[in-house]
Amino acid sequence: MRLSLSSRLSVVLALLPALMVMIVVYIGATGWTVWMSLTNSRMLPNNNFVGLRQYESLFGNDRWITSVHNVVIYGVLFVSLALAVGFLLAVAIDQRVRAEDTIRSIYLYPYSMSFVVTGLVWQWLLNPSLGIQHVLRSWGFAGATFDWIVRPERAIYCLVVAGVWQASGLVMAIMLAGLRGIDDEIWKAARIDGLPKWRVYASIVIPMMGASFATAAVLLSTAVVRLYDLSVAMTNGGPGIASEVPAKFVMDHLFERANIGLATAAATTMLVTVIAVVAPYLYWRARKGDIR
Amino acid sequence: MKRALFASVAIAAMALAPVPVRAEEMKAEVIHWWTSGGEAAAVKVFADQFTKAGGTWIDSAVAGAANARNAAISRTVSGNPPTAMQLNTGKQFDELVEGDLLADVDTVATEGNWKSVMPQAFIAAATRKGKMYAVPVNIHGQNWLWYNKAVLTSIGAAEPKTWDDAFAVLDKLKVDGKVIPLAFSGQKNWEQNLFSAVLIGVGGGPMWVGIMGKRDAALARSAEFKAVAVAYKKLKNYVDAGAPGRNWNDATSLVIQGKAGMQIMGDWAKGEFVAAGKVADKDYGCTVLSNHGGGYMMGGDVFVFPKSKDAATTKAQMTLAKLMLAPETQIQFALKKGSIPVRSDVDSSALDACAQKGMRYVADKAQQLPSVDMLAAPALVGAVQDAISQYWNTDMSADEFSAKVAAVLKAQD
Amino acid sequence: MTVLAEPLPAARRRRARMTPARWGLYAFILISALYFLLPLYVMVVTSLKPMAEIRQGNLLALPVSPSIDAWVTAWASACTGLTCQGIKVGFFNSVRILLPSVFISILVGSLTGYALSLWRVRGASILFGAMMVVAFIPYQLFIYPLVRVFAFTGLGQSLLTIVIIHTIFGLPTMTLLFRNYFTSLPPELFKAARVDGAGFYQIYARIMMPMATPMIVVAVILQTTGIWNDFILGLVFAGRDNLPMTVQLNNIVNSTQGERAYNVDMAATLLTALLPLLVYFGSGRWFVRGIAAGAVKG
Repeated sequence: MRLSLSSRLSVVLALLPALMVMIVVYIGATGWTVWMSLTNSRMLPNNNFVGLRQYESLFGNDRWITSVHNVVIYGVLFVSLALAVGFLLAVAIDQRVRAEDTIRSIYLYPYSMSFVVTGLVWQWLLNPSLGIQHVLRSWGFAGATFDWIVRPERAIYCLVVAGVWQASGLVMAIMLAGLRGIDDEIWKAARIDGLPKWRVYASIVIPMMGASFATAAVLLSTAVVRLYDLSVAMTNGGPGIASEVPAKFVMDHLFERANIGLATAAATTMLVTVIAVVAPYLYWRARKGDIR
Repeated sequence: MKRALFASVAIAAMALAPVPVRAEEMKAEVIHWWTSGGEAAAVKVFADQFTKAGGTWIDSAVAGAANARNAAISRTVSGNPPTAMQLNTGKQFDELVEGDLLADVDTVATEGNWKSVMPQAFIAAATRKGKMYAVPVNIHGQNWLWYNKAVLTSIGAAEPKTWDDAFAVLDKLKVDGKVIPLAFSGQKNWEQNLFSAVLIGVGGGPMWVGIMGKRDAALARSAEFKAVAVAYKKLKNYVDAGAPGRNWNDATSLVIQGKAGMQIMGDWAKGEFVAAGKVADKDYGCTVLSNHGGGYMMGGDVFVFPKSKDAATTKAQMTLAKLMLAPETQIQFALKKGSIPVRSDVDSSALDACAQKGMRYVADKAQQLPSVDMLAAPALVGAVQDAISQYWNTDMSADEFSAKVAAVLKAQD
Repeated sequence: MTVLAEPLPAARRRRARMTPARWGLYAFILISALYFLLPLYVMVVTSLKPMAEIRQGNLLALPVSPSIDAWVTAWASACTGLTCQGIKVGFFNSVRILLPSVFISILVGSLTGYALSLWRVRGASILFGAMMVVAFIPYQLFIYPLVRVFAFTGLGQSLLTIVIIHTIFGLPTMTLLFRNYFTSLPPELFKAARVDGAGFYQIYARIMMPMATPMIVVAVILQTTGIWNDFILGLVFAGRDNLPMTVQLNNIVNSTQGERAYNVDMAATLLTALLPLLVYFGSGRWFVRGIAAGAVKG
């Protein structure tokens, strides 16, 4: 289909804000970031070129290595669990249950709150001498142990628990929109064929909900890379450096530690990694789009 | 009443903010991170004095030092600076001076004869290129030991004076088993603060200055430093399982309630005791532990003044600088803040027993030790903090730790 | 359970009978609801306890002598620095920031998503790809350069600046959301409209946006939450006359060296979260209706 001149103008006009933002803000600021990572800037930006020295100290930094390690663990668990929980919740709600509005709001409300304080509540709940372990023991379960948040090798899983708590309601909303978009005819046909419900979900519904899964997965993944508040509020990266994450590394060094050079080197590394992961996916999608 | 009046003035000032200031009007927008009740009461002492002097104080409080600094520096680099901003006493404004962004307060300092009444370390920390660029407003002792008197009495222990005493008391408390021997808040900065206290108390003042100030990597590899590391890690035997992630005030609360014996914390912890209705020297005790006859780690806050072309702003800045250091302001501020005055020539009789003890420490030159922020730039403080935190929380050996600290010190050159 | 039942819309099918499978379903819903409600419960009971009770450390216990003092303090008299007027000061600032920011960011995002999904534009996939990448960058990194950009344009720190900032940072996610949604719609719809001679903006306004109601609801939820809870951008870009509520919340809960009143902290958080919570509960009904309107037959 060829586009008329006026349509063409309309499209360009519609895309103008996005284009400007891309060029001025993102490309400009990204360029600045990359440049800063090659300088020895501390509290204020400066232009003293030091080559790759910041990257050298970045990759010799235990905390950075731990942060990267953690974000991978967190990312895999958080995205898969939030997708699974969110989908299950959406399916449950879609069974024409009573008080649907209330239940949906219960699942969704955590997303409305910032981690500034909900992080503190989770910290209390998971703290062995204050929270769940304490309560279980006071109920007489003397052997009950739930002390992951104070154990360096387990603390990161506590972040997953709180992260899933916050995000799976949103996934549920997206999935529910997807489920409700599925034609009733499909369900009728399946019933006539005598297929059990779970089979319909597994082999018909889920494949039809590709867009919903993709949207949710991308939203969750951006939250993974940006993971910051949760780590600050719940464990402040601890015990020790056990639950540090890359965005927190960037933030701490940018402001509190007044080390712009190292912070931007970390940010640039994050950016390059994201491009390396996202670009092939986009290429694949673009190819698929062409075929259609 | 005064507060309400003040608040309405502040609101009126906010509403008028975009209107250009007339030359004779003195307005000061101050960015600081003192937001809690006691802290705000302390800031109000400054604000009231400024109002009395005919100025209008515009309060921009932002909780969290990093947040406040972020806001203040963002505005300073974009050419819209506040009149004054708070920083920690130390190296945080080095680059602001280098970038020629700050006004110096040297004239006011000379007129007020600050240099003869302030501890030497504070003058040095505020001076760059021979001029004073910052106004230190208070002294916080950071390596205090706070203990519950009833708890120590119950096991027949007296106030510890040295770290060896302290370990004996901790052992007794542990054997007794009724309370947590050492109340601890397992967050990075408090892990570092505890380490600093041990480094000063066990290793001594020269080692403290050698490691953090002179970045002496050889000293960090010495047997003496390793002994400090061992003593520090030994303290982990006396803390409870709930310590990681705990806030410092919750740890203090354990001491107040008699659920724990003692805590190492700065003198801001006193506010918690006071709020709980406890009396110094009666319900709780305070001292500084040292195996070497003393070492009082002093930190504090300063205000700096971004350069301005506007004469009225400069006037407001210098007026602020002058009245922040006025003896009456100093004592009132210290009372509210829980710190001690930065001037040694004020009447300290209004202060409580612990603050007076602090004044005595500060008066003794041999006891004065600068805080970590005064000795090292934020980047180095942070890097050492990560090393300490790793050491405390993992099974890293003292040897590995000393090698790590040595490497960090070297990398920062 | 039956008490909770409410009158059904006539269009809905009759509910299934309570079979064992249904019991299992409700058990699952109940247990997951408890998991979601636990932190809220802790926050509410803590906000109703006096500090002495909180210091005892019985997290899940109901308050012995409940009081709403902490709520009153948090709203009207908690000190956030020198002004002791609670968090109500920032409430209207937050509303003033929220409304234009949500509206404009969704408008721009949906338009961009629409143009990128249904209209074949050269370089569209590159633009979209670049936006996907930047959606992953921690936005804190852009603070310094953006401060410079806005100082340069003379906008400095103002309400307009913060609205533009929220639109900029919302753009990648909003575009992604709407692009994916529009792509999933049957292409015949769009083709038919083109054949009927409808133009770019006509199709957008008359056909696509009314069909996108479920996505608009999701977008409103995302943006309301993000913008309302934003702290650092508001602090840096809004200017001191427009500081959002979260700055005051942060002042109350994050003071480092002062005494902390956890009951006031919790009350202040709940108060701050009130508006997004209302949006969520309010949009719940609309959400279902939106989906009913948007459901495509055949």
